[in-house]
Amino acid sequence: MNSPRPFFLLFIALLIFCFGLAADLQPQFQSLQNDRHQSNNFFSLLLGDSSRIFANDFFVKADAYYHSGYYPTIFDNNSAFQTPHMAEDTGAIASHNQGEETTFMGPPRDWIDSFGRNFIPNRHTHLDEGGPTDDLSKSSEVREILPWLELSADLDPKDIRTYIVTTFWLRTKLNRVPEAEQVLREGLRNNPNDPQLLFELGRIYFENYHDSARARNIWEAALRSWARQARGVPQSERLKLNNENFDDRFIFEQLQTNLAQLEEKAGNLDAAIEHWQQAKLASPNPEEVQKHITDLELKQLVPDVLAPATP
Amino acid sequence: MKNIFAVAGIVIKELYRRKDFYVLFILTILICLIMASVNVFNDNQIIRYLKELCLLLIWVSSLVIAITTTARQIPAEKENRTLLPLLAKPLSRTQLIFGKFLGCWLACGLVLICFYVFLGALAASREHSWPLLNYFQAAFLHWFTLGTVVALTLLGSLVFAAPSSNSTICFVIVATILCIGRYLDAVALSLSEPFRSIIYAIYFTIPHLEIPFEMRNLIIHDWPLIGWNFVALDAIYLSAYTMVFLVAACLVFRRKAVN
Amino acid sequence: MSVILKTEKLRVEFANREFLKSVKVALSSLDLEVNAGEVFGFLGPNGAGKTTAINVLLGFVPPKSGAAYLFGIDVRQPIARQRIGYLPEMTYYYKFLTAEELLRFYAKIFGVPRKEADKRIDQLLKLVELEQVRKRPIKTYSKGMQQRVGLAQALINKPDLLILDEPTSGLDPLGRMKVREIIQRLKNEGKTVFFSSHELGEVETVCDRVAIIHQGELKTVGRVTDIIEKHHGNLEKAFLDIVGYQPQTAS
Repeated sequence: MNSPRPFFLLFIALLIFCFGLAADLQPQFQSLQNDRHQSNNFFSLLLGDSSRIFANDFFVKADAYYHSGYYPTIFDNNSAFQTPHMAEDTGAIASHNQGEETTFMGPPRDWIDSFGRNFIPNRHTHLDEGGPTDDLSKSSEVREILPWLELSADLDPKDIRTYIVTTFWLRTKLNRVPEAEQVLREGLRNNPNDPQLLFELGRIYFENYHDSARARNIWEAALRSWARQARGVPQSERLKLNNENFDDRFIFEQLQTNLAQLEEKAGNLDAAIEHWQQAKLASPNPEEVQKHITDLELKQLVPDVLAPATP
Repeated sequence: MKNIFAVAGIVIKELYRRKDFYVLFILTILICLIMASVNVFNDNQIIRYLKELCLLLIWVSSLVIAITTTARQIPAEKENRTLLPLLAKPLSRTQLIFGKFLGCWLACGLVLICFYVFLGALAASREHSWPLLNYFQAAFLHWFTLGTVVALTLLGSLVFAAPSSNSTICFVIVATILCIGRYLDAVALSLSEPFRSIIYAIYFTIPHLEIPFEMRNLIIHDWPLIGWNFVALDAIYLSAYTMVFLVAACLVFRRKAVN
Repeated sequence: MSVILKTEKLRVEFANREFLKSVKVALSSLDLEVNAGEVFGFLGPNGAGKTTAINVLLGFVPPKSGAAYLFGIDVRQPIARQRIGYLPEMTYYYKFLTAEELLRFYAKIFGVPRKEADKRIDQLLKLVELEQVRKRPIKTYSKGMQQRVGLAQALINKPDLLILDEPTSGLDPLGRMKVREIIQRLKNEGKTVFFSSHELGEVETVCDRVAIIHQGELKTVGRVTDIIEKHHGNLEKAFLDIVGYQPQTAS
């Protein structure tokens, strides 16, 4: 029996049987699936919760790239690198760094250590300030941190600081505004209505696209989202200066400040004053804010008076 | 010397007739090209992550080739019974050891040339620059590191029974040195006696292969050249360890039965 | 007549794996001399110590006591092997090399100049009838072809002394004839051949002198004709008598 026909027919029959069985079982499987939380992220499927550890590692890797490889290991004193500098420089992440960042390695422990330091990056530099060559024309080489940030975001889509930091560098140093917007929208897909992400998106529309109306809508949506995150905590408590949640207070202040500036620019002084009043509640310098409010009120009364600079 | 070169020539012939090198080289190229095709925010000038990946693959591949090629040299000669006809010639055992070392080391050098040329081409495709001297420094010290690894593996092939056990042990030793060799003194400081003395003894005894390994960061992040005096000193340092391992291998082999 | 090969009270011991026995004596006080230009047969049953003796001569195994010399040079010196050719019993060579590359490699070790090596390689491959397959890797060769490659590499340096360990083992009758012809030709050229074999008919035909060794001890050495005459029969009978073989009678 050397003819391949019977095997071929058997193969076809098995194929039909498998497809039929799959089609028959699909509805039952669907109903099972709906009872379980499904992740459509490849990495979380593959790595589970450990993907967040990897995400943090790659976030720190981006900082190592920001320093052109001059970075502490677990054996060195890393107190000056608790908060990644490339995130700290965006102004959106609170710094927990202490100590001298140029001397984390300390003095050489022995001749081998001393000799080995000639073969590793041994100077503190930032990529956006020229890197190891101190050549400011090469500041755009800060792009080199982006792959690690992108990977970090893929591994932990819930970490919004990755999106914020990525957007900052794309928008400010690399002049890639559409890409920055894309990052934020991706972040919002994974973290719907997050106030920080909405704030950054509003900045793009206000500062880069000069679309004040859209920016206003987005920032107001961010404020509403911020308010919804109260979880029973009164606003006054959330805005206290000694509140440990710096980010919570900071984003409220940022939103109110930027809305105030937007309204000022649009000539809506009433709305601007209202926002400045709110910003004063969260500002670490309420006197300065009050001074500016007073100036604006004066301006309302006497339009010819030049408004002083905003705090 | 002609005997040493004759034996070395056979080793090199064996390497390029086996498939190992080609498989690793093609794998490296494939992985790098796939990673290079990744679109990172529509910016086609991002290159450092590629350089890091490529250099890591180069190091892994070169160590695999160095250790596996060397580990099977003497055992394969014994197993295939080619050792007896060879030693029946006017060739001393010392010449055989040095010939095997030289062959493996030169073969590693050829491998490194191929890999580093690829790295240079890959980097130049985006950076549009050729820091040849930087690559030369890195490749030169990488080659000397492989020399020490080859000598160590050759010694291991005479001590351990099977090539597989020798390869595994050498891989573990080399990988450990590369990863934590630099920090053993810091670890020792945090321990109490007698462990502190033991770790210190290990720290000062082992060849510090991680020195050239960590040069990768200088290549990746476009740091300026290292002083040539330091390069020369490190080459001499690695050569000293290579000679120690080779001398030990000669002494062990002289006492070994070959039939 | 000059002595090409000489052993003096050669003793070789190996560590014994048997319980309560510390060493196994492979060779016991072997005294042997082979003169220039003769074909010398080295006979003995399996495990007698023939290969061990050859291994000592080639420097593979150090003797416990005694000495061995080739051309008056201690066998522990690599230079002692400059003028010898060796064909091992089991012929294995680098499978990834071609016959031509193998011979060139060995010629280099002997220090044969390139042009001379090319000439010799052509002659030898013709002699052993491997000219057609000189560019093929050795891994594609049959056993007989590998044996012939072995013979070619043993002759690459035009040796004055050829040491053959069971040279006709595994060969068909044609192959054996070829080997006998080569031995005879070498003898006619004044070369010395020292070989161990179980083929007593062959030994009887080609050898000038033989030595018979049993359990590490040299039992007899002398001209073939003298030994045969002494034991009133052929070489096989003489061999069996010397090693003390007692035929079992049917009950």
